[in-house]
Amino acid sequence: MIATLLVIPLTLLGMQQQDSIAARLAGRVTPDVATLVQQLSVAASARGLPVDPLIQKAIEGSAKGVPAERVATAVRWVAMQLDTAAAALREGGVVTDTLVIAAGEFAISAGLSNHDITALARTGASVAALTVGLRVAGTLAAMGVPSAENIGLISTKLRSGRPPGDLLLVPADVQSEIARGVTPAQAAAGLERAAAAQARHGPPPGRDNPPPHPPAPPHP
Amino acid sequence: MSEHEFHPLVKQLLDGDITLAALPPELRAEGQEALRLLAAVDRTPVQLLAISQHVMQKIAVRPLPERSVWRRVVAPREVRLRIRPWLLAPALAIAAALILFLRPAPTAAPGSLITVRFVLVAPDAHEVSLAGTFNRWDAHATPLVRSGPTGVWTATLTLAAGQHQYAFVVDGVRWVPDPGAPAVDDGFGRRNSVLTL
Repeated sequence: MIATLLVIPLTLLGMQQQDSIAARLAGRVTPDVATLVQQLSVAASARGLPVDPLIQKAIEGSAKGVPAERVATAVRWVAMQLDTAAAALREGGVVTDTLVIAAGEFAISAGLSNHDITALARTGASVAALTVGLRVAGTLAAMGVPSAENIGLISTKLRSGRPPGDLLLVPADVQSEIARGVTPAQAAAGLERAAAAQARHGPPPGRDNPPPHPPAPPHP
Repeated sequence: MSEHEFHPLVKQLLDGDITLAALPPELRAEGQEALRLLAAVDRTPVQLLAISQHVMQKIAVRPLPERSVWRRVVAPREVRLRIRPWLLAPALAIAAALILFLRPAPTAAPGSLITVRFVLVAPDAHEVSLAGTFNRWDAHATPLVRSGPTGVWTATLTLAAGQHQYAFVVDGVRWVPDPGAPAVDDGFGRRNSVLTL
């Protein structure tokens, strides 16, 4: 009886998910890649991993005219990074959801390690804040901020208890500091010291409430 | 030992299919002889007690193999599936619940939209478009507009909060990262620009 109650729903759920994935891939990737993505997605979903990064990577590769074999390799690589991110988050004591795992995968793809992910997870921040923190940490890594300064700055921000939206200001702040002539590492270290001081003494005048939306990213 | 082949009708008699009276007169003597031989067979059961005891003693002295938990788990066992139609309704209800609650979460919180302006300076380009995670990497979905003779191409989009990766597509073939935004390896030997909102 228990088998019946479990097997039928799980079978239907798997079929529904495969149909959804197939619909998203239809006409965008080769049949071989579509089959691979469906297989990886079902397996990833069963492990609690997000499937959207796999689908996006397959579509991206095909849109860029990349050979199917190379697309398949890239999709498999994303699946491995999702597993790595999920394990690192669990190591840090975070009950993972798909959004925070996807954010962790991005951070890893940007150059952070699983130990960096675990360190951020151990800050005790909420899952929502940690998700934003991982995205911002990945962005800082892409800007050239070394891991030590990167994790130091984001950890301090996460521990400050400020709203997650506050973290979204960090890349622009780092960019401003770099524009003044300091290195990315120096910029992040300086901002970390400022954030630590702010946590001890309170926010500076005018920065009590973050703006409702972050400023647009810098463009030439 | 001489072999004696009985007539087929006599064989039927031995099998009990027909009676002796049903045999043709010329076969009745053969039939009687066959019945006599059959009656003479010793039907006393063969005493195999000694053999049985010997075999059982041998079996008894062999130690029973230890059945570890793993062996019990992997040991083949008979599985019987019985279809119980009255369980279909609760099973479908659970399926509906799983589909509703376990479907992959969207990548961005709904309701939080942010307007972003994308700019690329490409004086020699004939057309520029934007492809990324927000438009399923469709190189034709989001064209940029050339503003004036300086070769500045722009597009303004309203995007969901979250993380986006993108690139400019110049003249339909050349994928160019945004020079004003951080970029990551795309896994295909190129770079994707990153936008965190």
